[in-house]
Amino acid sequence: MPRTSPFDHEPDTDLGRVLRDALTLEDDAAFSRRVAAAAEAVYGERSPGQWWTVLTVWARPGLVAAMLIIAAVAFWAGIWVGQSAGSASAAAAMDPLRTDSEQLAVPSLLAARQAPDVDVVLAAAMGR
Amino acid sequence: MNHMRDAELAALAHAGDRRAFGELVSRYTPQARRLARTILGDPDDADDAAQDGFLAALRHLGRYDPTRPFGPWLLRIVANAASDRRRRRRVRTAEPLPPNLATGGVGADKAADLGRLNEAIRAALSQLSERQRVAVVLFDVEGYSHREIGEVLNVPEGTVRSDVFHGRRALRELLGSWKDWNKES
Repeated sequence: MPRTSPFDHEPDTDLGRVLRDALTLEDDAAFSRRVAAAAEAVYGERSPGQWWTVLTVWARPGLVAAMLIIAAVAFWAGIWVGQSAGSASAAAAMDPLRTDSEQLAVPSLLAARQAPDVDVVLAAAMGR
Repeated sequence: MNHMRDAELAALAHAGDRRAFGELVSRYTPQARRLARTILGDPDDADDAAQDGFLAALRHLGRYDPTRPFGPWLLRIVANAASDRRRRRRVRTAEPLPPNLATGGVGADKAADLGRLNEAIRAALSQLSERQRVAVVLFDVEGYSHREIGEVLNVPEGTVRSDVFHGRRALRELLGSWKDWNKES
């Protein structure tokens, strides 16, 4: 019979072989399938967590995308408002029922595409 | 997935990949079942405990440190599941030593002898402390190092060395009547 010392650091292959034969159970494949089937329930338990996980993962890019969309909408809205204001001031400039000073109201000056003359600004401010 | 490392499979399984988890189960099924049987003795209880261990590992894959070996981490969970099951069983069903353990010997019928030898070995194992038999099986059967077994059993490496030594010695004494047990299989 083989003997070992407390300082024997190598596995005993003979003992290992007989222990393996005595302890090994049959049909590992069937057992693996059984565990895999039971694991479905565990994955099911984890679904609520995954819902939050998905939200967390998407939160940052979602916020960035929302900000980009808002910025784009604001940009296009700004252009549209600018065009509307421009056409309104043009219409006002051609209104024959209004005096020059009325037609040179502050909103019209602000909507103008070119800087007005100083005299015109002063006239508008004095209400002439 | 056969070529993937355990840590990679564990990460995939944690992310919800069933195939990765299945691969890990396939890799460790023989070891986990043997370990559970070492602790519990009864094959059905062992399978239940091994399954509990795998499922507990799946639930806690987020706690696995991928820089460390997966085997000891998993087997520790399986060992805990088996120990819990044994405690719940309350009545310890120690296998009695079969009569042939005392008288022993190799007969003419080789297959019957091997069956009796396996019975005798399981009975002899059941005479050791749980820690000793786990240490011997993980060291001599599964090939884990003393340090890794220490992780499984949550004891210092020196304690594992002592358990392996004393466990082996006790097994040899219990199997002493099987003159050529190490040549039987």
